[in-house]
Amino acid sequence: MIRRRILCFGNPLHGDDGVGAAVFAALSARKPPEGLEVIEAGTPGPAALALFEDCDEAIVVDALAPAGSPGRIAQLAPEGIDAETTPAPHGMGLGYILRALNALPGPRPEIRIIGIEAASHRPFQPGLSPAVAAAAGEVARLLGPCFEDGHG
Amino acid sequence: MARVQLNLNLNRVEGDLEIGVTLEDGVVVEARTVGTMYRGFEQIMIGRAARDGLVITPRVCGICGTAHLYAATLALEHAWGVTPPPHAVRIRNLCLLAEGLQNDLRQTLLFFAPDFCNPRYQNEPWFDEALAGFEPFRGAFYLETLAATREAVKIIAHFGGQWPHSSYMAPGGVTLPADMRKLIACRALLDGFQRFYETRVIGAPLDAWLALDTAQDYFALLETPAHARSALGLLSRAARALDLHKTAAGVGALLSFGAWRDPENPDAPLLAAGFYDGAATAPLDQGRINEHVRHSWFRPYEGGRHPWKGETIPNYAPDGDRYSWAKAPRYGDAVVQTGPLAELLIGGDALVASLYAEEGGGAWLRQFARVRRVAHELRFARQMLDQLAGDLSGPHFLPPAHEGDGEGHGLTMAARGALGHWIRVKDGVIEKYQIITPTAWNASPRDSAGQPGHWEQSLVGVRVKDPDDPIEIGHVIRSHDPCLVCTVHMLDSGRKLHFGV
Repeated sequence: MIRRRILCFGNPLHGDDGVGAAVFAALSARKPPEGLEVIEAGTPGPAALALFEDCDEAIVVDALAPAGSPGRIAQLAPEGIDAETTPAPHGMGLGYILRALNALPGPRPEIRIIGIEAASHRPFQPGLSPAVAAAAGEVARLLGPCFEDGHG
Repeated sequence: MARVQLNLNLNRVEGDLEIGVTLEDGVVVEARTVGTMYRGFEQIMIGRAARDGLVITPRVCGICGTAHLYAATLALEHAWGVTPPPHAVRIRNLCLLAEGLQNDLRQTLLFFAPDFCNPRYQNEPWFDEALAGFEPFRGAFYLETLAATREAVKIIAHFGGQWPHSSYMAPGGVTLPADMRKLIACRALLDGFQRFYETRVIGAPLDAWLALDTAQDYFALLETPAHARSALGLLSRAARALDLHKTAAGVGALLSFGAWRDPENPDAPLLAAGFYDGAATAPLDQGRINEHVRHSWFRPYEGGRHPWKGETIPNYAPDGDRYSWAKAPRYGDAVVQTGPLAELLIGGDALVASLYAEEGGGAWLRQFARVRRVAHELRFARQMLDQLAGDLSGPHFLPPAHEGDGEGHGLTMAARGALGHWIRVKDGVIEKYQIITPTAWNASPRDSAGQPGHWEQSLVGVRVKDPDDPIEIGHVIRSHDPCLVCTVHMLDSGRKLHFGV
């Protein structure tokens, strides 16, 4: 039985949007205890709904839009995330998924969101900015207790 | 962790399609579809092992990965002379049908229908109903569709382990056999979906709905409370009140590669393939398919080339008259459209044929056909389950006897229309791989003869009441089920506006 999932969203081809993947890579070095799953979720659109099924808690790791403090780490409430405005199927981002989860019947997990503020939008330029790369390591460290049975 | 208040927007880098339209006196006089991203899967495939396409090409699309896997598998089977056993075909069909179920209702009720909730329509007699049904995250149909479509793709997970991007088909069959547990689970999922479709989407029993075969019968049904209050009934009333049945027909030539495969004769589709030239349907001849790059950012060549002779070598040249990363596929010289309308018209759905004969194809009929196709998907999915349950002992995989060099094509119908993969294997590795997606057919740029693509033609003549809120363009583009996130640029009296559609 999966109790908790850590879901790392983002696209490493697009600069700091890949911070979720970097956190995933850092966490992958550790063996998760029973009941914990760590998933590199990518940018899956509506398929992401399935990642929130059959677990008690989902911790989402994702990049935040640039706002002047690159690398800032924020823990956010799901209702604080705006739905993206792109409406076609591939444009359904995390904001849409969170709203959809809220609207769907049936049990939903407790959702925590850890955001890391990007330095800038850099489409098709792989690699993190220094501040965001450092923040990725810090987030992986902060999530460390999840790897200790019964903690976190 | 510190809690920080931010004004947030978790952005994704999006916008792989732009549509430029020129308005004169509020009417679109010219349109250009611009594919803004180089896909490059064809180049990625060169030099790889022949089977690599089974893992790589389902990643072309997050919505129709099953269709890409199916096409990639068929191409290898064609090259190697492999005939899969009937049970494998049934499982492949079942999964492709499930992918269609989720797409067709999501696209219709989560993306197309919410446009009727635009405040522009607040004085329309159907507006309050549209809000109650289609308003994002609040409307009853919207919420129920979110829930029902999430369930449908679990059918694929039973055989493929995951959806999307699964790789459970291979030349010779599928990786997992059917068993009673899977069949019972799939039947329960299908029953739930069918109940939703009958009671909420069409307001009629499936068999009676499938038996409906004339436009007049449909218009009579639309007058009955059961259908009029259903999701499709409400959509039809709103769309037809806005004349969307007379809007944006696009090109009159239609193409279908044939939907799903006959388990006992896998070369034959369950719904016929063909080319409709505006007057009659001819059998499909894949040899007539060719792609032009005259207005695309690829290394230039003359005229059109069949995919086995084609190439996808990028050659970005932003200055000049080339304007898209999409090629321009043509059937012979014909610009064609593909999708559920083409699939059902060519495949023999009498109701769609009657409506097409009565009114021609417009934005409403394209959308209507997408909802109508769900009935066929449910019927064939149940048929596949029944046939699998009838005799579970048949093989699900027969290893190919020969895996050497050769060339093959795999043609199928994806959610958005005709999808083809072409492969040539030489010295044990892929020498050539070409993919033509449904959206490449529909959203193609101009060809060597200067003929615009289907979307480009469909937008010409559309009247836009308010260029600051071009909802009419939204209706048309969404009726095409765009595979790509798109943005519209408008030129009107020298003014350039930018819209997310």
